[in-house]
Amino acid sequence: MKIRTEQFNQLAAVEIEKARVRPFLKMVPEFLYRKRAAGLPSLPDPDAAQAYAAAVRAEVVNRLPDLLEEFERNATANGAKVFWARDAKEANDFIVKVAKERGVKTVIKGKSMITEELGLNDVLTANGITPWETDLGEFIAQQMNLPPFHIIAPAMNIPVEEIRDCFMEKAGMETPTVDPVELGYAARVFLRDKFQGAEMGIAGVNIAVAETGTVINVENEGNIRFSKSAPKTLVSVMSLEKVIPTMQDAINMIRVLARNCTGQRISAYVSMESGPKRADEVDGPEELFIVILDNGRSKIYQDTEVREIMQCIRCAACLNICPVYRQIGGYAYGGAYSGPMGQALMPLLFGLDRTKDLYRACSLCGACASVCPAGIDHPKLFLNFRDKDVKQDPRFNSQQRPAKERMFFRLFSLGMSHPGLWKLGARLFRPIFNLNAHDGVVSRMPGPLAGWFRKRDMPAMPVKPFHQRWEELKDKKS
Amino acid sequence: MKVVSMFVPCSVDLFLPDIAESTVTLLRRAGVDPVYHQGQTCCGQPAYNSGYRQEAKAAARHFIELFGEDEVVVSPSGSCAGTVKFHYPELFQDDPVWFRRATELAARVFELSQYLVDVLKVDDFGAAFAGKVAFHESCHNLRRLGISAQPRKLLAAVKGAEVVPMNQEDFCCGFGGTFANNYADISESMVQDKVENFLGSGADVLLLSEPGCLLNINGYLSRKHPQKKARHLASFLVENMKEGRS
Repeated sequence: MKIRTEQFNQLAAVEIEKARVRPFLKMVPEFLYRKRAAGLPSLPDPDAAQAYAAAVRAEVVNRLPDLLEEFERNATANGAKVFWARDAKEANDFIVKVAKERGVKTVIKGKSMITEELGLNDVLTANGITPWETDLGEFIAQQMNLPPFHIIAPAMNIPVEEIRDCFMEKAGMETPTVDPVELGYAARVFLRDKFQGAEMGIAGVNIAVAETGTVINVENEGNIRFSKSAPKTLVSVMSLEKVIPTMQDAINMIRVLARNCTGQRISAYVSMESGPKRADEVDGPEELFIVILDNGRSKIYQDTEVREIMQCIRCAACLNICPVYRQIGGYAYGGAYSGPMGQALMPLLFGLDRTKDLYRACSLCGACASVCPAGIDHPKLFLNFRDKDVKQDPRFNSQQRPAKERMFFRLFSLGMSHPGLWKLGARLFRPIFNLNAHDGVVSRMPGPLAGWFRKRDMPAMPVKPFHQRWEELKDKKS
Repeated sequence: MKVVSMFVPCSVDLFLPDIAESTVTLLRRAGVDPVYHQGQTCCGQPAYNSGYRQEAKAAARHFIELFGEDEVVVSPSGSCAGTVKFHYPELFQDDPVWFRRATELAARVFELSQYLVDVLKVDDFGAAFAGKVAFHESCHNLRRLGISAQPRKLLAAVKGAEVVPMNQEDFCCGFGGTFANNYADISESMVQDKVENFLGSGADVLLLSEPGCLLNINGYLSRKHPQKKARHLASFLVENMKEGRS
């Protein structure tokens, strides 16, 4: 997909207007958030399970190189072929090479944000290979040529009438219907022969178990398991932080992930590959390739202040609770990852210069961090990125802030540390601020504060600020 | 009488002085003697949140010099109190002398309702109000300082006041400091939701204990629903006390 993180403000404004017309953003994230709230208590001790998950993810990020090597050893011993990709191009080139060597013309895919990050579908198409997304939401998004709107519900924003029209046009549906079951059935019928004819499957990875060399996927439609087991060749693509030390950790993680994601105790399907099909097995791919993608993550690993974003397990609890996501939805973020996890990850992947609104368009309310099962403090990361920008930290392409802003904070700092100047400043500022005041209310303000005053007033600055009133109050003890 | 130092946020000093006056009244009613250092300015949160940590450090040093010897520091803003409690120690993590001073001070800083209810154990100020009230849980009070029960105890003691539930009480109102001005599209949408939830609750007044949220919500109400108001809990309690302000 095309990265459009620079266009955040324009995209957000468009999406806010759309959301006003059709209030699905008021409903779907709230629905998922409530499912999570209802599902968490089914754990014997939800706080302990969340804390365990966060501790495991923190351990992973701290032991990343060791765990990855252990994973590679065990996956290789199981018969899988592990390929390390430094960046998107290396990963895409490798996958295309595997496909071409086997004469593959059709690929079936399980929904994976990592292949969205790679822009893999476009690359496959350009090489004469047809990728079919088989997750219902991702299938709709692919047919309508749209990026994912939500990391687990990629087409949640698309009106059912548009899905109907799309399926009539592109998915062989003959009788128009807006019945969701019928629409799902139409997609199943259409995709059935794609599954049967596909020579290669491509899927993401939810968890890679270091001690066993196993890749695990969780899903609710069965399409990922189908994509992984029907074709002769399977390519599993993982970013390098997906690894987890032990199978026991993985089992807890699945319990925590499902509950945070949808409130389920476990997803409807959990599939595990420990290597390709063995001689005595009936199912499974004959060849298993595991692509381990770096794409900037080693650099994130080296910065101990920000690498906790790699603890993320992509449950989307932070999206569902985020008051900003609930206003603008997923497109405005301009990449595969939306909501707070995207705001914390994409600046490190694409550069602070190309994503400056992602880590600033946040009220720092902390709702995301309060629900995160991986122990990520998203607002702390946004503040770190802002700090990096201001001090022009050479890592992650930080950018110098505008001269006016720097000057403002320099003066502000001088005022904050000099009470005499501060009070003088306040006295001089008052008549300017109150220029348009009527009945103690300021409703209009040109210049840098105009954003506030479009739909909001401010009280006029009173003649006597508290520090003057105190002089009268202090002796009037009751 | 125990001396309590008031940390009055700059927004309160310059725009909402009645909140600080009400703070004086409540503290005196609770049996302590509030003092106010004339040297206070701004805690530096706008600079810190904008990434200007050097500039925020200058504010922090000034604040620590000014308040450093005080036994108790109380603020009618959990967000500003939070800056001192959490961001000051972070700012000085590589400076052992200032780090120690910052962490020692952090432990002595309280949000007003927290201090009244948890430390002084006073929750009834003899206020009475015949009507319905809703309560907005401000983000930094709730999620950074863990404050929610304390203001609600103060509210529960108001005779005649019916506290009604409000949809999404714990959702951000869209203030976020510079966020409200710089991302006006998003912020306006957020405050609009908050106000719709307030109007939908049927409450006569929306109470909260954070000056930033107050400016934002009242700013929007003033423009769109001028008959409705949000009030800082401290102002509300004092306005509705039999004895009035002192």
